[in-house]
Amino acid sequence: MGQGKSQFTEEELQDYEDLTYFTKSEVLYAHQKFKELAPEKVGHNKNAKLPMAKILQYPELRVNPFRDRICKVFSSSNDGDCTFEDFLDMMSVFSQNAPKSVKAEHAFRIFDFDGDDMIGVSDLSEVVERLCGVELKLSESEIQALIQNVLQEADLDDDGALSFAEFEHIIDKSSDFSHSFRIRL
Amino acid sequence: MSGGNSKNKSRSKRHEGWEEAGGEFYQELYPGGEQELFDNLQRADAAKLATLLPSKQARNTTTAKRTRSQNERRQSTYARTTQSRDIHLSMLPDLSENLSNEERTWEEIMQIKAMPVPMHQKRDLKARLQNATKLRLQGFEQLQWRQRKVWYRFSIRFTEIMGKFELWQSALREIEGKFGVGVVSYFLFLRWLFFLNIAISLFVIVFLILPQVLLVENSLLCNDTYPNSTICCSEAYFNRNLTGNNVILDLIQGTGWMERTILFYGVYSDQIYSYFGKSLWQGEMFFNMPMAFILVPICWALFSLIAIVKTGAKGFKERLIESEGQFYMYCNLVFGGWDFCIHNEKSAKIKHKALYNEIKGCLEKERFNEETQLRSKESHILMHLRRILVNLLVFIILVASGVLIYYAFNYSRELLDEQMSGPEYVNRTAERLTLELYREGYTFGRFQNIVLEFLPSICIVVLNIIVPEIFEHLIHYEDYNPAHVIFISLLRTVLLRLSSFAVLLSQIYIQITDPNRILCSVYTDEGRLECWETYFGQQLYKLILTDFAVQFVMIFFINFPRSFIARHSHSNCLKVIGTQHFYLPKHVLDIVYVQTVIWMGAYFCPFLPLIGLIYSFLIFYMKKFACLVNSTPSPIVYKASKSKSLFMSFLLLGFVISIAPVAYAIAEIMPSINCGPFRGYSTVWEYVVITFDTFPNILREFIFLLGTSTFAVPAFAVLLFFLYYYWAVATANRHMVTVLKNQLVLEGHDKQFLLNRLSAFIRQHQKRCERNRASFADDDSEQNSSR
Repeated sequence: MGQGKSQFTEEELQDYEDLTYFTKSEVLYAHQKFKELAPEKVGHNKNAKLPMAKILQYPELRVNPFRDRICKVFSSSNDGDCTFEDFLDMMSVFSQNAPKSVKAEHAFRIFDFDGDDMIGVSDLSEVVERLCGVELKLSESEIQALIQNVLQEADLDDDGALSFAEFEHIIDKSSDFSHSFRIRL
Repeated sequence: MSGGNSKNKSRSKRHEGWEEAGGEFYQELYPGGEQELFDNLQRADAAKLATLLPSKQARNTTTAKRTRSQNERRQSTYARTTQSRDIHLSMLPDLSENLSNEERTWEEIMQIKAMPVPMHQKRDLKARLQNATKLRLQGFEQLQWRQRKVWYRFSIRFTEIMGKFELWQSALREIEGKFGVGVVSYFLFLRWLFFLNIAISLFVIVFLILPQVLLVENSLLCNDTYPNSTICCSEAYFNRNLTGNNVILDLIQGTGWMERTILFYGVYSDQIYSYFGKSLWQGEMFFNMPMAFILVPICWALFSLIAIVKTGAKGFKERLIESEGQFYMYCNLVFGGWDFCIHNEKSAKIKHKALYNEIKGCLEKERFNEETQLRSKESHILMHLRRILVNLLVFIILVASGVLIYYAFNYSRELLDEQMSGPEYVNRTAERLTLELYREGYTFGRFQNIVLEFLPSICIVVLNIIVPEIFEHLIHYEDYNPAHVIFISLLRTVLLRLSSFAVLLSQIYIQITDPNRILCSVYTDEGRLECWETYFGQQLYKLILTDFAVQFVMIFFINFPRSFIARHSHSNCLKVIGTQHFYLPKHVLDIVYVQTVIWMGAYFCPFLPLIGLIYSFLIFYMKKFACLVNSTPSPIVYKASKSKSLFMSFLLLGFVISIAPVAYAIAEIMPSINCGPFRGYSTVWEYVVITFDTFPNILREFIFLLGTSTFAVPAFAVLLFFLYYYWAVATANRHMVTVLKNQLVLEGHDKQFLLNRLSAFIRQHQKRCERNRASFADDDSEQNSSR
């Protein structure tokens, strides 16, 4: 930890503490984790930009079906490459202290594959496919039935897609979401 | 001077800020102005009109700057509305609002972290907010704000420090990565129980064990003229030679020398210790041991109850919200299905599979439900018949196991009693020959003794292992849905454990309340029930030890080889035998059961919470081993939120069941004459009543008043009023929710309608434009040609 401390000024740490859901020591710990992904590069420049492939070596992200989306959502350059600050943002949102609304906001963007600000049928089928993994495939009719069910439950205005308000409504009522949408640092 | 300079600067800044704010305000009202809007509309693809809606734009953070300022505004208006509660005011571009005071600025900075923008923008924002001029708070407000800030800092530091002490962090992470949040919630529950036991132990150590060890008892001598007095009885009891058993045997049974240690109820003094303070307090200090002995259990019982209810209420609230939206099942599955904490490839694969199965199962079940509705009544009746049959079978098994424990208990008692009287008989009548014969059989007899001593405990534990397995198989024939399966099998297992427990209790109760029992030790040699509280404590102590031993053996000597076989063999048959899943309900029951025993025994054996503490510490590691090494991730998806409240409700059940007999014993059963703090009273509660009578008159009157109807009736009425009030609020809220939901739907339809009209209009407009352009072009060409 002493090594990590030398890379940040007290002011920066204070900033990070104020702007994320972490305490200072957690920020340093996060940096340590970030450094493990690319020791040399990060040792040289504490806020180095790592390519997406490097970020995806983080254990929780490696097996996550939405890994590329997560990187893209949090990347400040929008191409999936993440600096340490992006990484810190990511971990802050996934941390236990982040409120549900913040998590919902980011989850919505992760699930919104085509970026049209609605979770439509194509987004949903993509989500379902990714959930089931590469080896197991639901049949087309099953996916359609599932999507119909989801829309029936949550699509309040019958426009065939979930808007953010509708999505937030679901998340508010789902107590499992905040349990599962979490990565321990 | 620099002061004037800065003032000037700030004014100019303020000016800029004002302009900016005003601009933003108009931008927000009419995004981009009318002309821009129209241009946008014309350019826009009619189908993508929806993305131009203000509600969408406010969230669209990829277009950085404008959105950011909008967001900021939204946040700040949010903060202000919550503060001033004056929505209209905050909506207006009030100039003074822009000059926020320190507290608001600070609040806004704290709000930044919730914004979905990259870090460098957040830092810019923070810097801007910090550098902006702000009013200094005056007087009391300043003080208040300072206090708030300090408190906030302190709470951060506190959580940081607590985080360092947090137990088993890495173990939890490992489990989480492999098994997901459902199983982790079980381990969190285990940790919670560990902390609860620490708290209970602290009560017991500080107020019972330390005083008993440190304070010196006045020795009283038995007066021969009253051989019936409690002093003589207890002297006879404590002076009795203990049978010189093996040390280790005594250790595991709690008999012999163990019986006379502070482990058990028996040795606790019945005296009020008095202590002469040297100089600090002039006069006597008292420690009323019997009173402590009754107050401490009441304290920890209340403490446990509050802890359970408080933790359970959180989960209960979540469940209430969820049950309202029962139909969000599929959404939950799709959006909350993946555990983001999984970090192990194999587990990820299994999780994929579990989700796949769950989705398939849900869809199939729906189809199945549709089919059953169509199907004839015959199959319906058949299913119910099957359920009734299975329930009957379960009932029979429960009764049978109860009877089995009853007989095991009686059998062991009878044989042990025979042996107790046996040796004396041999001693008196037989010659040396037979005596030697007896000695040869002695070692065997001792072993037999232990088996007999432990027979009821072993019986209970073995039943607890075998019968749930049978239940697990039976439930497959009943066609319940998965959530019900867990609940019902849990309930049945709980009933099993309780029935065995109840048999044990009733047996002991019958023995204790036997009217022919000789109470005073002076007149009897019968050793067992001289101090029945100690005896009962011993039983529970044995139960815990047996349970621990069985857990240990099951995990390390049976399940571990099984999992080893499963991992390293290729034959299918062996794999079926060896593979185990971490079946959550069973493990939950294990620890709830132990906690029940601890609660029940803590009064009779004050050391039991400490033993429980060690137990739960060790069992964490054992269960971790069972989970990580022995088991493969379960194909059942455990929901974290649901399981948490389920654990708590079963713990509450265990608590009630364990406290009820103890309360009964305190209130009704006569404590032993020979030992313990309540020698010579007809019930324990009598002591409390007698002590209460020595209280000052006013206090007594006051407490009596609490018991009378003059107090009770108004109090009841007030409570009813409160209840009614909250009920009314709840109904109003529920009504409001439905109204708002309907409104949301209507708004959505309206929006849809308007968008459709608009896009139709735009299309028309575009067509007209094109037509115009075409006609212009025609005109041009005509003109050209005419030229």
